[in-house]
Amino acid sequence: MNVTTLFGAILLIIGTWAMLTHKNLIRIIIGFSLMDTGIHVIMVSVGYIDGRTAPILDQAVNKAEALYRVVDPIPSALVLTAIVIGLAVTALMLSYAIRMYQKGKSLSIDDYQETKW
Amino acid sequence: MVNPIYLFVAALGGAFLIGPADKVNKNLSFWLTVMIVGVMAWISGSWFHFIEKGGESAQVFTAGLRPPVSINLMLGYKEAFILVLSNVAGLLGIFALRKRFMELPAYAMMLYVAMLTGVNGIVMTRDIFNLFVFIEINSIATYALIALEPSRKALSAGFKYMIAGGIASILFLLGTIYIYRLGGTLNIDQLAMLGIADMGKAGWLAAFLLFSSILIELKPFPANGWALDVYQSAHGGVLALISSANAGAMFYALYKVMPILGDQFLGLLAVVGLVTFFFSNLLGTRQHNFKRLLGYSSVGQIGLMMGVYALLTKLGMEQARILIITGAIFVNHFLAKAGLFWMAETIEGEDLTAWGVLRRNPEKLFSFGILLFSLAGFPPFPMFWAKWNIVMGLAEHGSYVALATILLGSMFEIFMLLRWLGVAAKTKTEKESADHYGLEISSRIFMLALIVIGLRASGFFIVNSFNMNTYMLPASAVAMTPLIAGAFIYLIDWLGVKIKAVLTIVLTGVYLYFIIPAVLPLPMLFTAVFGLGGIIIAFASMYRKINVRGFYPLLTMLILSLVNITIANSTLEFFTAWEFMTLSSYLLLMQGKNAQEHALRYVMFSMGAAFLIMTGFAVLYANTGVTDFASLLLGRYPFRWSFILIGLGMLVKMGGIGFHVWLPGAYAEADDDVSTFFSAILSKAAVYGLLLAILVYTINYRGGFDLRSVLGWIGALTAIFGALMAVFQEDIKRLLAYSSMSQLGYIVLALAMADHLGWTAALYITVLHVMFKGMLFLAVAGIVHATGTRLMYRMGGLIKKMPLSFISVLIAIIAVSGVPPLAGFGAKWMLYTGLIQRGWYLRAGIAFFSSAVAFLYLFRLIHSMFLGQLKVEHREVKEASPWLIAPQFALLIGIMVVSMFPTILLKPLSAILPDSIPGQLAWQEGTLLSNLGYWNGSAVMWVTMGVFMLVLLWLILWLRQVKKVGQFNIVYAAEKPFIPETTHYAYNFFPYYQKALGGLIKPRATSFWNGVSEWTASTAGAIRQIYTGNAQTYAMQIFLYIIVLYFIVGVGL
Repeated sequence: MNVTTLFGAILLIIGTWAMLTHKNLIRIIIGFSLMDTGIHVIMVSVGYIDGRTAPILDQAVNKAEALYRVVDPIPSALVLTAIVIGLAVTALMLSYAIRMYQKGKSLSIDDYQETKW
Repeated sequence: MVNPIYLFVAALGGAFLIGPADKVNKNLSFWLTVMIVGVMAWISGSWFHFIEKGGESAQVFTAGLRPPVSINLMLGYKEAFILVLSNVAGLLGIFALRKRFMELPAYAMMLYVAMLTGVNGIVMTRDIFNLFVFIEINSIATYALIALEPSRKALSAGFKYMIAGGIASILFLLGTIYIYRLGGTLNIDQLAMLGIADMGKAGWLAAFLLFSSILIELKPFPANGWALDVYQSAHGGVLALISSANAGAMFYALYKVMPILGDQFLGLLAVVGLVTFFFSNLLGTRQHNFKRLLGYSSVGQIGLMMGVYALLTKLGMEQARILIITGAIFVNHFLAKAGLFWMAETIEGEDLTAWGVLRRNPEKLFSFGILLFSLAGFPPFPMFWAKWNIVMGLAEHGSYVALATILLGSMFEIFMLLRWLGVAAKTKTEKESADHYGLEISSRIFMLALIVIGLRASGFFIVNSFNMNTYMLPASAVAMTPLIAGAFIYLIDWLGVKIKAVLTIVLTGVYLYFIIPAVLPLPMLFTAVFGLGGIIIAFASMYRKINVRGFYPLLTMLILSLVNITIANSTLEFFTAWEFMTLSSYLLLMQGKNAQEHALRYVMFSMGAAFLIMTGFAVLYANTGVTDFASLLLGRYPFRWSFILIGLGMLVKMGGIGFHVWLPGAYAEADDDVSTFFSAILSKAAVYGLLLAILVYTINYRGGFDLRSVLGWIGALTAIFGALMAVFQEDIKRLLAYSSMSQLGYIVLALAMADHLGWTAALYITVLHVMFKGMLFLAVAGIVHATGTRLMYRMGGLIKKMPLSFISVLIAIIAVSGVPPLAGFGAKWMLYTGLIQRGWYLRAGIAFFSSAVAFLYLFRLIHSMFLGQLKVEHREVKEASPWLIAPQFALLIGIMVVSMFPTILLKPLSAILPDSIPGQLAWQEGTLLSNLGYWNGSAVMWVTMGVFMLVLLWLILWLRQVKKVGQFNIVYAAEKPFIPETTHYAYNFFPYYQKALGGLIKPRATSFWNGVSEWTASTAGAIRQIYTGNAQTYAMQIFLYIIVLYFIVGVGL
């Protein structure tokens, strides 16, 4: 485990904590966003290999020795996708929050428990 | 064939056009959406067809490269099967949502297409990260679609869903990235070969994270409150797809990744699935909000699918069989749930009672019934066959805890669904159901699809496992005959009562003609009882003035299913016919005016009985591998546990002591001709079953504790308590119901003797009971019809108004009571002789005592109805309809003939008994000999008739000067009674006996069963408090759930 992974894990935990404890919808969404970011950092860290360079083929890295000189590009590619998805989810959550505020005149999560049992 | 990649091309390309098209015209964008999804349905459909016909599955390598470098898609048989269902559901769903789509901007339709794209992708992709992407596409579109419903609760439910989905996707990413790190690839098939979960703790944890992510999406109990809230509040059109296509795709995702995770997760998944199934249905029993109820049911069904798949795989059942079972549950759930959600959206309101609008809409009610019965697991729907195979498979591997969990969960489910049906069929409401063409049509199409697929599934299972004695007809046709005949009459239900009655009689007759030559002698007795009895009832039913829809279809179905029970050769054949019988009798009972609650109780006890019987068969199969009855008669197999289970089931079904609580209500509240059928004929199905069970037990009996002795006690107690309870009834049909219970007690007692004399007596009582209970109930039908009451103290003096009914009742009660000269005497004589010869003295005493008690209620019956003063309001009463009188007199002649010449019935009955039942009857001409005495029925008859004639002559000759007194030629006291009925002599007819014996018949069984149901309800009520409705609580539950799972499973590592 390296520092980046640890950093990601800390972000993840902070986000989780925020999501579970804060009552304000916006804060919950921020918590969720932090969790997401934490995961992204962890993902990048998994593909990172010490002392290697970015997986871009140009003058600095030629094709023949690319395999030994660049970090694993796949996690980076995955992260890009995950970020986009996370963005979409966050945006949707925020628009949910707006709609909920319009309907319920409250941003407290505790005011939205009309369906239960 | 079109490359499956065009599924996405069509969806994405088309979705971009929806926007511009919407600018032009709303209809244009709508039909464009239809076209897009239509193309998707067509592509998946053509692949399904192609692969089913033996074509190869499609593999798509994107970017022209092979995995792991590229993502590949796979479209095989299973994938095509799911996709064709999902895309067709998607296509119908557009029409179901048409109204909303027309109101909303174009993005609603785009989201809809995106959701379906997600489903297609989830099912086809073989890349684990791509799986994540499609799950997210699907989820995001779904979140947004939930918000279509502009209500506060839909928004908050959607938000809860997003939180849960968000947690799931974070777990998914975490699991996936570490799986990639360990495995070096994202391709599912390559990962499956690596055994990730075995790569130390990290590997196991990665696998666990992926597993729990998909699990959360599949809504396991108790981490599923968010899902229930969504089911409660979103639009039915969206929910139809969430519960069918989305849930199906997620299930398939789990199925796909299971090989990566390895077998160690199977046990966990099995437990999680079955726990979810059990608790969802338990909690669902408390539900009054119908969408939420459907939610509970959906969650439960998915749980069942997971649990069964995992458990059977773990137990090592062959994969093909597991796939057939899981596939059957899947298709059943898919069609039924989508159909129900679509239908639910047409109902205004939230409470179950809102479904009362269906009462005046028989077609819709029919459709609703089909959807519910398929979920409840009645034949011919796939769920029925799946359940049978599950139960057999679990028993085979000794997994009885799982078996009990599934069956108990199913009981809750049946309660939850059929209570709803009762409410829909019986709640009176003034509302008209509004028109929602799209929703209606979509739901009808899926209902029809269920029928078609159900019949196909039945064909498949029947061909593979049936081996009926069917003479000239094929087994699959015979097994489905009750259904087909019923459906046929349903189609011509608009015809008049008499035509349909005649048709029922003719159909039954023709069927008997074909079937009888193939039936063995002993079952043939019952074939005749059911067939001819059914014909008599169908004849009597012509007294009906009102053409009740569904009556004749159900009656036909009931008669033929009873006949089918007697021709069954194997356990599954028996059980299939048995369930047809349960279904049709339940629905017939439900037609009674106030029968809602009683029908529900009846069907719950009947299903309990059916499950006991099924488990009995399963135990038998597990221990011996035997499913056909012929092998059982060889005497080579242990039959103890099966006997207990099957015997208990039969006792429940016939209302034996302790299980009789359903009986009075059902008999009393059914329509009068239906009561006759229940008491005289239907109860004999359980007699037949018990007889078979005792026969097999006797043949296989190898010493040890003799269960037949216990059964004898149960019979004796049923006889006495039935009689005692009958004595104190005011309601005439309840009286007869308890009397039936008592008579069945005699039959059980006689059968339990398991010797020649006992069985002859049992069969003799059986046949006689059909006759005299038929007469009594038909006579009562006429009287209730004429007087408009069932309470005996409201009647009286009917002898002059209804003399024919009087004669019928008189003869019947003489026959019931077992006094000479009528046939009942012979039956009792044989019973007592047998009991005494066997040394069952106390049981003989009890039986004798209950016969004495029977005099009390029989006397009351005739006394309070026919004798005494005629009520003012009954002065205009006429004799019952000839349609009722004629069958009574036919039965009366039967009783007289049998009484006069008992040998014509007794000798054949004795002859058809199998040799394995020890003993012989000693005949000397017409006299039956035993070492305790002898009995000659004809002689008794002649003597009694002679004495009777003498007295009659004396009366006629000497008592001529009798002065006839008019009805009101009596003196009144000058007081007006406060409660008039209490002054009637027939009210509280036996107060002294009540004082003496009332303590014996406190409703203990009723309190017990009420206690069971109250406890169940309050347990469910307590458990469901965990669903607080708070998003954060739900999130917390998800985390805790995962942590608990981790400790349960991970600790072992």
